[in-house]
Amino acid sequence: MKRSIGITINGEVYEETVDQRLLLVDFIREVAGLTGTHVGCSVEGRCGACTVVLNGKAVKACLLLAVQADGASVLTIEGLARDDALHPIQDGFWEKHGLQCGFCTPGLLMALYEFLQNPKHSDEEIRTAMSGVICRCTGYVHIVEAVKHAIATVEALSPQERKEWFNE
Amino acid sequence: MASANAWVGQSIKRKEDRRLLVGDGQYLPDIVLPRMVVMGFVRSIYAHAKITAIDTAQAAALPGVRTVLTGADVKHLGSVLSDMSTPNLPGETKRPIFWPLSIDEVKYVGDPLAVVVARDKYTLEDALELVDVEYDPLDIVLDPEHALQPDAPRLYPDWGDNVLYHQHIPAGDPDAAFAQADLVVKERFRCHRTGGQPMETRGCLAMYNPGEGLTLWLTTQRPHIKRHLLAEYLNIPHSQMRVIMPKDMGGAFGTKAPLYREELLACHLAMKLRRPVKWVENRQESLMNVGQGRDQIHELELAVKKDGTIIGLRDRILADCGDARTAIYVGFAMPFLGAMYLINGYDIPNVDIDLTCVVTNKACLTPSRAFGSFAGRFALDRAVELAARALDMDPVEIRLKNAIKTFPHVSAVGVHVDSGDFPGSFAKACAALDYDNFRKEQSEAWQNGRYLGVGFSMGVEISGVPSEVLVPMERQPGFGVATVQFDAHGKVQVAEGDSPHGQGHETTIAQVVADELGLSPEDIYVTYGDTHSGPFAAGTIGSRGASYTLSAAVLAARALRPKMANIAAHLLHIEAGEDDFVFRDGYAILIRDESQRVPIAKIAEVALLSPTELPPGMEAGLEHTSHFEAETAGMHSCNVHAAQVEVFPETGEYKIVRYVAVDDAGQPINPMVVRGQIHGGVAMGIGNACMEEFIYDENGQQLTTTLLDYHIPSSLDLPHIETIEHNVPSPHTPLGSKGKGEGTPGMVPAAVANALEDALQPLGVKITDLPLTPERIWKLIQAAQSKE
Repeated sequence: MKRSIGITINGEVYEETVDQRLLLVDFIREVAGLTGTHVGCSVEGRCGACTVVLNGKAVKACLLLAVQADGASVLTIEGLARDDALHPIQDGFWEKHGLQCGFCTPGLLMALYEFLQNPKHSDEEIRTAMSGVICRCTGYVHIVEAVKHAIATVEALSPQERKEWFNE
Repeated sequence: MASANAWVGQSIKRKEDRRLLVGDGQYLPDIVLPRMVVMGFVRSIYAHAKITAIDTAQAAALPGVRTVLTGADVKHLGSVLSDMSTPNLPGETKRPIFWPLSIDEVKYVGDPLAVVVARDKYTLEDALELVDVEYDPLDIVLDPEHALQPDAPRLYPDWGDNVLYHQHIPAGDPDAAFAQADLVVKERFRCHRTGGQPMETRGCLAMYNPGEGLTLWLTTQRPHIKRHLLAEYLNIPHSQMRVIMPKDMGGAFGTKAPLYREELLACHLAMKLRRPVKWVENRQESLMNVGQGRDQIHELELAVKKDGTIIGLRDRILADCGDARTAIYVGFAMPFLGAMYLINGYDIPNVDIDLTCVVTNKACLTPSRAFGSFAGRFALDRAVELAARALDMDPVEIRLKNAIKTFPHVSAVGVHVDSGDFPGSFAKACAALDYDNFRKEQSEAWQNGRYLGVGFSMGVEISGVPSEVLVPMERQPGFGVATVQFDAHGKVQVAEGDSPHGQGHETTIAQVVADELGLSPEDIYVTYGDTHSGPFAAGTIGSRGASYTLSAAVLAARALRPKMANIAAHLLHIEAGEDDFVFRDGYAILIRDESQRVPIAKIAEVALLSPTELPPGMEAGLEHTSHFEAETAGMHSCNVHAAQVEVFPETGEYKIVRYVAVDDAGQPINPMVVRGQIHGGVAMGIGNACMEEFIYDENGQQLTTTLLDYHIPSSLDLPHIETIEHNVPSPHTPLGSKGKGEGTPGMVPAAVANALEDALQPLGVKITDLPLTPERIWKLIQAAQSKE
């Protein structure tokens, strides 16, 4: 069964006729060709590598069908940076060595994108915010530091800059 | 003269991160080729059964399905293992005969018995459901001790038993040592089945044309080794086999080192169908097939003198290797190395180690970070703790008494340890924990009904494996190799034969080469992964990056300096050689008159773009390949870890309050990268020791085939991990650097178990088995209390 849908990803509209059973993550990776979003588990929703921001909320794209995202606006890892300027969360990960193999990183960044709009500061709160995405390389220590770095950057932003970085 | 920059030792940001942070990583699943088809497997649902019938007709008839093969269709390819792909170890070895798909009989749940090729993965999933297999279940053997019984079911009836490998490793006079002992500690320790599991599963993409031959993009730690084994198995010339690890790979931790049946099939199918064939393993398959490591029983005895000196060790090791059907390691190379490394950082002169590796109806053991030694490290550091307790000695004191004191050291079984400083490491760990005060705090806590404890572990970590060890073990070299090559614009390409995937080679190799050539890391680009554009090397294994590969890059860069100096002198119209120049800030600078300088970019330009300006008779080009082999049979890093815990006896739950890792990186190239390696190693160690377990039920069904069941730690499961440097440069590498990270998980299980037992001293609990789940701790507390 096929259906025609339209999904806006990183500001670009993709109008496609797809199988109803097509997963959103496959739409993103295979139809839109945005391979920065990864798949690390057998669509059980645990690994979190496929996390994207859908209408402002972090979601696991392997747990949604593409047809459920019809009409939605999706932000993926490819849409985070503005031209050559990295988003504060990307910059934090770079500064603090928050990634090694990089496979979970897109999911983590998208999960934390939502968190950073109203960040909380304790280590426990930061660790809770990232707990939906598994990282096997870092032991999370540098990721906590990366998030703190990003929080400091975000808090120093002007309202206008903040709007630019968090306006999908 | 050497260059005068100092990039080495700086925590610069990683070069590889820019692409990874914006979604431009290039992983295996991201590669798409024209006319590509996808491959998937029908896998056994029984742990041991005869296949009585396979009906593929319905699957083959599904629109979009290109082919379906069963074992009978691939039998002509021959058995997977050859002399080249089987470890060549001392002791008695048996070799299973098997094919890429199982024929007639399956031996574990997940065993591949048919392959389907389809136009897309959705069609593939449908087709896999349509393959109908009839089984006649056979008796199974799941427990390694049961496997040794004369009446146990046999995996390979022609063997006569289930013993895959046996070796006896004696040294000194253990009988005399035990006769002289004041105390004998004897205990049985069991380490469960757990291991790697990277976030990116296995995968490959095979492409064939009769001119070039086969190209295989593969998630692998060892492209060159895979290449020559694949060519051998597929019976094609080596020149027609190319293996490429994609630019990026989502972790491996040992699991992507073996040669697997699935990649052989992808190659075969690409040749047969003349279409690119892609396979991306799903997580269920991954948990059924790879990352299953450890799984050993140790019956360990220590002969100890009253003053705490350990004079002898006996250990009877039984390793459960599963079905033993992967190439290169065949399930037993890990326990072998673990046995060789059992005594580790301890100086124990009299040793009797007996290793038996058996096959069972489980997946084959695969290498996992802390290759083979995780279980033994747990057993020995636990036994030492028990000895300390029996003698009423401090756990630090007994370790210092028995730690290797003078370097270089050759262990009783012949392992070379080049350099280290255990007393210095213990001092730092104790200072960080405020150890003396902690003991007071602990006594007070006990009086108040709280259970605090501290536990230590110590050991050596492999820093690469030399050819002297690797050639006999795996028929492969251990040297590090790198080609350093100027381009015409003064930038430098470093081609390595390993395949880094998170270790940071693009950055750390750039740092060392920049220092050697007076450039900036920005000027250096590191390439890897493609067997057709990098030198032959053993691959990214055993912490050999910072020890072997990086050292080769240093030597290759150094080898360019005489020619660079000669070109500079010629351009300056002076008589001068290498010793007259310093390479700094992008210039070759004459030491006696620093105003006399030539841009290094100009030297490269002359060597490549305008060779007419070269000194008369000089060959054009500016590149060199070095092979680095350390002048020792082993380099190691010496480390001390400590865990501090609080246990809640009502539930058996506990909290790792602090974890302190004192590690020796020799000369760290990028301390931030080193810390990251240690954090990750400790995290995997805690996951493996405390939370993760591959569980098989009594029918051999694997109960842990999702990440919900196989619990890899999340950010909420792990403590903050504190890292402290205690570096002793290796005398055998040009910069003193040592590899770091591979062996790190092996430090963890004893540190945590010792801490838990320490906390529970008033309750008299003894910990001998892993994993350290709250349930296990609770049961031990209950058992101890019911004894009172």
